[in-house]
Amino acid sequence: MNNDLPERRAARGMSQADLAAAVGVSRQTINAIERDRYDPSLELAFALADHFDCRIEDAFDPDGS
Amino acid sequence: MTENAASSVPEPLAKRRTYRRLAFGVLMAGVVAGLVLRGAGYPLAGEGVYWLGIVGAIAAYVVSPVPLLDERDTRMEERASRLALTAGAPLFVLGASALRTLNVLDVWTAPAFVWGMGYGFLAVYVLFAAAFAVVWYRT
Repeated sequence: MNNDLPERRAARGMSQADLAAAVGVSRQTINAIERDRYDPSLELAFALADHFDCRIEDAFDPDGS
Repeated sequence: MTENAASSVPEPLAKRRTYRRLAFGVLMAGVVAGLVLRGAGYPLAGEGVYWLGIVGAIAAYVVSPVPLLDERDTRMEERASRLALTAGAPLFVLGASALRTLNVLDVWTAPAFVWGMGYGFLAVYVLFAAAFAVVWYRT
């Protein structure tokens, strides 16, 4: 699923590993999500959105536009 | 977008990596040492070391302060399992049919170990059916 996690991460000066540790997954999982190779579960999507203080639909775009 | 692996690793990720390596390393060491000992003529010692490896891996999994698998790991395992079962099913069906047909026509009688493999295959699918029933009942 298309997403803007890399931009949100960069805005906070976080590495993939930092974000992974913050939401309780591996760095590879964050990398796969950012590269659109893995769609997170609803639970993880909520955790990521909560971390960036936004809504899921703000960070993820199912239409890929 | 990959990152430099040399960058500092947060503690939870470092612990996960350490305990995963520990669990996998102990398991592999037990399996390899067990095979070596059995090959060297020490079957009981080999079996003991083999089980030490298994127990060690389980212990590493249990005592780890962080989960060793995340949701992506789990989903990859599920996909791999489905792929293996899906690929194996036609092989099993065609293979079993071919064995029976060749046997009836007296063209070729498969050795006992081949039939054993077939029943092993069948057992895997019976186990899958049972597991599916449990999951279906609980979902």
